[in-house]
Amino acid sequence: MLARHAENLFWAGRYIERAEDTARILDVTYHGLLEASPTEAARAWADVLVVLRLSSDFGALSSGIDAVSVSQFLVSDRDNPGSIVSAVARCRENLRSVRELVSTELWESVNRFHLDMRARNLWADIEAEPYQLYAFVKERCQMVAGAAAETMPRDDGWRFLQIGWMLERAEMTCRLLHVRYSGEDPVGFHHWLGTLKSASASEAYRRSYRGSMDPANVLEFLLLSPQFPRSVLFCLRRAEHDLASLGRNPSAHLSRPERLLGRIRADLEYRDVTEVVADGVPVFLDELQRRVRQVAEAVALEYFRNSQELDLHALESIPAG
Amino acid sequence: MVQPYGRLGMVGELFDGYEHDGFYDEAFESDGTVRAHYGALVKRLSELTPDELGTRSRLRDEAFRTAGITFTVYGESDESGVQAHGHEGEGIERTFPMDLLPRLIPADEWAHIEAGLVQRVTALNLFLDDLYVGERAAIKDGIVPKWLVASSSGFRREAFGLPVPKGARCLVAGIDLVRDAKGTYCVLEDNLRSPSGISYVLENRSSMTRVLPNAFRDHGVRGVHHYGNLLLDALRHVAPPTAGDDPTVVVLTPGVFNSAYFEHAFLARQMGVELVEGRDLIVEDHVVSMRTTHGLERVDVIYRRIDDEYLDPVVFRSDSSLGVPGLMAAARAGNVTLANAVGNGVADDKAVYAYVPELIRYYLGDDPILPNVDTYLLWDEDHRAAVLERIDELVVKPVAESGGYGMLMPGSSDEETQRMRDRIEAAPRDYIAQEVVSLSRHPTLIDDHLEGRHIDLRPFVLSGESVEVIPGGLTRVALRRGSLVVNSSQGGGSKDTWVLAPGAGVD
Repeated sequence: MLARHAENLFWAGRYIERAEDTARILDVTYHGLLEASPTEAARAWADVLVVLRLSSDFGALSSGIDAVSVSQFLVSDRDNPGSIVSAVARCRENLRSVRELVSTELWESVNRFHLDMRARNLWADIEAEPYQLYAFVKERCQMVAGAAAETMPRDDGWRFLQIGWMLERAEMTCRLLHVRYSGEDPVGFHHWLGTLKSASASEAYRRSYRGSMDPANVLEFLLLSPQFPRSVLFCLRRAEHDLASLGRNPSAHLSRPERLLGRIRADLEYRDVTEVVADGVPVFLDELQRRVRQVAEAVALEYFRNSQELDLHALESIPAG
Repeated sequence: MVQPYGRLGMVGELFDGYEHDGFYDEAFESDGTVRAHYGALVKRLSELTPDELGTRSRLRDEAFRTAGITFTVYGESDESGVQAHGHEGEGIERTFPMDLLPRLIPADEWAHIEAGLVQRVTALNLFLDDLYVGERAAIKDGIVPKWLVASSSGFRREAFGLPVPKGARCLVAGIDLVRDAKGTYCVLEDNLRSPSGISYVLENRSSMTRVLPNAFRDHGVRGVHHYGNLLLDALRHVAPPTAGDDPTVVVLTPGVFNSAYFEHAFLARQMGVELVEGRDLIVEDHVVSMRTTHGLERVDVIYRRIDDEYLDPVVFRSDSSLGVPGLMAAARAGNVTLANAVGNGVADDKAVYAYVPELIRYYLGDDPILPNVDTYLLWDEDHRAAVLERIDELVVKPVAESGGYGMLMPGSSDEETQRMRDRIEAAPRDYIAQEVVSLSRHPTLIDDHLEGRHIDLRPFVLSGESVEVIPGGLTRVALRRGSLVVNSSQGGGSKDTWVLAPGAGVD
């Protein structure tokens, strides 16, 4: 397939997942802080921005950090490329560029999502009913995932979509955990139940751990569960599988992204969660994120490089006609 | 049962106050009786209340927005507030409004149109081949003046001697037809470069089958959904001999910001081929390849929707980032076919248009089946003097524009008229004048009732193994009351166009 199309699909997958996970992080943070003092809350919202690597962008606006200002920035700010509306719009733009390769069902589910987001009064939603808003975003993202799974042929296009999707989810699950570890002594039962719920993991977790709500177990589940579809290990395995299935010369060595990804996956598979806790969770999560990003960069270099052209195609406006 | 509109219970409120105002009406005779082939449709409509029709119309709009069937308008603020999704420099995506009343063409009328179009496009292909790779016989024999050809902005010296397999230069042609006050079909202009609109023909049909399924039953409507196959066959037919048995075809688009991007993606999808941008292609040793995730893959035929001057920065505009360096040389080496051919603009130049009837006689030895509209050539002193005398009664058009831009219509301000006079005096070759054609009108849903609106017809003609016309085409409708301008960029809408089975449609 065309290198540019592969890149568009990869990013479409990343953006739709980013929209969903941003909603999940906002949801759990918002509801977890309802009883917190304003100072505590401000610090927690600042942490969210740090973990999402958007604090400097937000800082430029700096109207004071609270639930509403950060939520507006992360949901409805069209100038913030990391906001949910921007992520959905970019997902749509990427799919529009490969419109002939994606099924009508997938395209329409994303296009409808985009149009409906634009039609909503997001400021009012953030103030009045954030729960419904985030539920709406999650539900639409799952519709998109369903439309993709049920209507896309399992070709290279599907694989690039999935690779982008899974790498983004792995990274965002790290970020979610990071946000939940940033607080001062986050040991409460409800804190960790909220964390699991925000990853749709509370029921699956309880079946695995029979009700004990130990932070190390929660960490283990969301990092290392081989069965739960939002755990980091699960996402990396799926991405690795799709990378390996991309048609290639059978005599060739493993590609660089495969080698990088295989290393992280193996590292996680043989990792004991008590070591992670002992070494410091935030440091571990930072490093894991960095390595996942490295895989994404290697994918771009390996497969999309052909879509980069030299100076000749660099800029220029496009005349109508 | 035939009854005059306006005072019959049967047709209901939809037609209340409907008037033909002296124009040729597609659905009604001048005495107000329903034309025979509209009988069944008018009866069908009477079963719907205006409310139901309005609801269906909104459903269709919603379906179009969900599907992303839009064109992009730049540099304009949005008035509706509903269809716009623009943000800063993004441009505004509009849906192209489709009127719910289909335009019907009876079988015998269509046979006449079809024969006329095949004849015209056949002659135009011969003319272009004659000019670029032939003896220039039409010039030598004095049919078309040499200076006129040489001065056309669509004429490309760079395409001189560049052969096109099978001479299929107008692989896709869109010929704009109008009906005059007597109902005669005339050719208003030829579009031989990258005519757009076929995607709306197919999408309109799909949505009509959902919105008014029952109406199809009585009409034996001829299908249009095989267009993608016909286009792909035609493109493969003109593949260069180097391509072998299974030529690789791609659609070349300027990209997602182009106003017709939806159509480009649509056509690639209909044909099951790649939609590429200039930056996806590379020419090495006069061979065109596309950049894939697994290296380069050879391309044999390019259905390009990029204008000539942006195709190849080596040969044409060097500042173009849309095209592919070396593309023309690859075509000249016989390694790739570009469709439509480079340089077709000379034949749809509106001044050359005036010579097409003579070209038909010259190349085919037959009289033209479809007449031109009366056209005055402004470099001719007598014509010019006569035109300037009564310029406010005529339509003046620039010869190389399309999309309805730069025209002077009757009723323009004195200032606009004077400006056009000055331009004509300065560059008489660049303008033509035509008698106003009082375009036929068609009942069109305006709010909750029907009014007559002016329409035209753009059928699509494919030149592959043979010259073939897709039944019907795009009927464009000027939604503004009294307006004669149907272009989508100027407030036009469209109608599904039904070519009927012989004898169908009669109630």
